[in-house]
Amino acid sequence: MSESMLTHKPYGSQEFLSTQNRDHADEAVVEVFSMMLGFEIGPVPDTDSGQHPGEPNDRTAIVGFSGSMRGTCEVRMTSLAARSIASAMLGGTPVEEGDDAIDDAIGELCNMLAGGWKNRVPTLSSDCSLSPPTVISGADYKVHMRQPSMKLSRIYQFDVHTLYLTLHREDLGAA
Amino acid sequence: MKGTILVIDDSAMMRKIVLRTLKTAGVEYEQVLEAGDGNEALVLLRANQVALIMCDINMPVMTGLDLLLKIKEEKLAVGVPIVMVTTEGSEQHVRQAILAGARGYIRKPFTVEHIVNNVKPLLAA
Repeated sequence: MSESMLTHKPYGSQEFLSTQNRDHADEAVVEVFSMMLGFEIGPVPDTDSGQHPGEPNDRTAIVGFSGSMRGTCEVRMTSLAARSIASAMLGGTPVEEGDDAIDDAIGELCNMLAGGWKNRVPTLSSDCSLSPPTVISGADYKVHMRQPSMKLSRIYQFDVHTLYLTLHREDLGAA
Repeated sequence: MKGTILVIDDSAMMRKIVLRTLKTAGVEYEQVLEAGDGNEALVLLRANQVALIMCDINMPVMTGLDLLLKIKEEKLAVGVPIVMVTTEGSEQHVRQAILAGARGYIRKPFTVEHIVNNVKPLLAA
């Protein structure tokens, strides 16, 4: 049995998959985009439709959760969307492709989304910690979990861009 | 306030955002020092008198809470207001930060109003 299981009340799968949890994710996204970026953002109605045509979503940021929930918060978007976010964070200053500010911006974005979501869940707020963000360039990758996991996926539209948010939760009770 | 501000965050982007928001909030300063982690911050604090410290919690090398304890132990910045700027928003984290010596706590994401309400009173005191 892991230390986290001994010291924390695990965050249940029913709670994780609940409508309320989906609302927590949506609220966190809207809050971060309106307060830090000045963008209006909202969930895309066919949120579980899967593939969307067009430019590849080749910029990803991941923040890990540990404690009463183990898992990740992952955001994916196109390079253009990532540049737009970096520019907005810098108060409208244009950002060129290849600028380190882009990875920094989407890492911070993911950090704030992960924190904003878990702070809305009473069970997680103080019993779950965040890792520093990891940023991946490229679309051909897969995230592997140590234990079986479940995920909550949401798709959002801001400006002309799409943002994919996935929360993964590892099953702490699995062998 | 017309002094030096030290901003500690592993994200250069977030340091820029904090500084821009301070400026928009009307917090005046003469000089800015930036540190990407706790060790860099301690080096800067040993060589400079600062008037305000804005500090992240989740950082590599040492957390913001560990840094607060080190600053307190070494008396590097006696009386200097330290404001935590972090995604960690639970009561427990706020309590830990205040016990470790923080005078203010701002949760990311934040607005100019949060800076006005949490930072300006500390500088006026």
